[in-house]
Amino acid sequence: MRASRYGLILLAPLALVLAGFFILPVLMMLPVSFREYVPGAGLAPGVWTLENYARIVTDDYYREVIWRTLGLGLFVTLACLLLGYPLAYLIARGPERWRVPLILLVIFPMLLNLVVRSFGWIALLANRGLVNNLLLQLGLIHAPLKLMFNITGLMIGLTHIYLPFMVLMLVAAIRNVPGDVEAAAATLGSSRLHVFTSVTLPLSAPGILAGSILVFVLTISALVTPRMLGGPTYKVMATLIYDEFMQLLDWPAGSALSFALTLMAVAVIWLSSRLTRRWAGMA
Amino acid sequence: MSATNNAHPGPAVTAAALAVVVFLQIPVIIVVLAAFSTTSYLTIPPRGWTLAWFGKVLSDPTYLSAIRMSLFLACGSTAISLLLGVAAAYALFRKALPGSEAITAVLMAPLILPAVVIGVALLQYFSLTGLRGNLVGLLLAHVVITVPYVVRSALASLSGLDLALEDAARVLGATGFETFRLVTLPLIWPGLLAGALFAFITSLDNVPVTIFLIGANQTTLPVLIFTSVEMGIDPSVAAVSTLLIVATGIVLLIAERRAGFHRFV
Repeated sequence: MRASRYGLILLAPLALVLAGFFILPVLMMLPVSFREYVPGAGLAPGVWTLENYARIVTDDYYREVIWRTLGLGLFVTLACLLLGYPLAYLIARGPERWRVPLILLVIFPMLLNLVVRSFGWIALLANRGLVNNLLLQLGLIHAPLKLMFNITGLMIGLTHIYLPFMVLMLVAAIRNVPGDVEAAAATLGSSRLHVFTSVTLPLSAPGILAGSILVFVLTISALVTPRMLGGPTYKVMATLIYDEFMQLLDWPAGSALSFALTLMAVAVIWLSSRLTRRWAGMA
Repeated sequence: MSATNNAHPGPAVTAAALAVVVFLQIPVIIVVLAAFSTTSYLTIPPRGWTLAWFGKVLSDPTYLSAIRMSLFLACGSTAISLLLGVAAAYALFRKALPGSEAITAVLMAPLILPAVVIGVALLQYFSLTGLRGNLVGLLLAHVVITVPYVVRSALASLSGLDLALEDAARVLGATGFETFRLVTLPLIWPGLLAGALFAFITSLDNVPVTIFLIGANQTTLPVLIFTSVEMGIDPSVAAVSTLLIVATGIVLLIAERRAGFHRFV
């Protein structure tokens, strides 16, 4: 009895802040998502509707944005996996004295301000940016390539931004693969590739899954980079929500979209945790 | 011994990995070079070098007030998160409450929800309650997004704690708080420092929550950069970004020297 009162005193301040500034605000958005928005006037009084949710699955534009968001998530996850695995492998299995400097070089861009990193990509990818400038000077192209305000820019930028998360997850997973097992496979005559595909890769699968889920969820939730590299017209779900609230002031539609995005993120995390549990059960 | 070498990365893997490390640094290098360049878009070779953009940033009241606001929010929310987060984590660790797993899940929930969703939820809430533009409201919103990092690192550090040390202190007559301050806190300090650094950087980095909540004269540095880029590229953005890059680099090196930061990520 005493123990739980002292626990309550320690927990209460944070619980109150989270209740008042997180849980309550999110819950209060739920009724708004069932209201009707009248342009110029705000919420139609006394009207309750499922229209905002129905529109997400029926409206062609919304559907295009949702598929684009999911496709982007999938591509960025795959790109991070392909680029991240060799680097994670070098950090985990390479020379000991390289390990800390390499990890710091991975953490550094991760800690750097997101707007700064996105700005860096604008300086590179814009019509008058460094890449186009260089290609024009070398005579390889005659008009600037369109690298921004489209899927290319978003893919490059988001892959760069979420790659460190993937690398750190993979490093932890590869370090958990016992070196003895790899050495045993090699001693028994396996080639380097065979050791990798038959031992290292399957044994690091849980880390691959965890890293992929993390990168996927971060990518579909991203606002800053898609907005800076995609501009106001090339939209993903997060930037669509941003515009519904800031430009169109259609809060009901924005709220419904917010719940749809949250549902997608939570569903992916939930599915992966079930998958991991099944794997653990098989082992 | 050559057999065990098959588990080591070969030259092709090493080369690919080092190329990826370079890819990770490219935008950083470009921003720094652009800050010293006379042209608004960086060219190769650069047309000329100048320090003028730094002078412009450091004498611009808009930038200075945004930097002040960002530092205030980051320091304030980190301090509050440390205080509330460590207290809550300690209660969970000592199993002082039933359902600690469910409570932990709730404390971590702000990490799972897309930040933009938290932002718009708080926008509606602040509009209804008249909190929009309120500095305390903004600060507590930052606590919500930073506290999971502190709770996570505190729980991780506490789980490695030898309970016998706390018991020894209690047997020797220390009160509960003395035990925490003199025994527990010094032992979990490196982990907390890493958590606090993550909290600080998360607050300093945040746009998707902040941008919906700020009132007049409350613009933070990332929000200022975010909105000014929409107007077109300006080398003073590169200059202020370079200042952030240098500051981040210094903080990372200090954290690595003092607490072995790389072990906590």
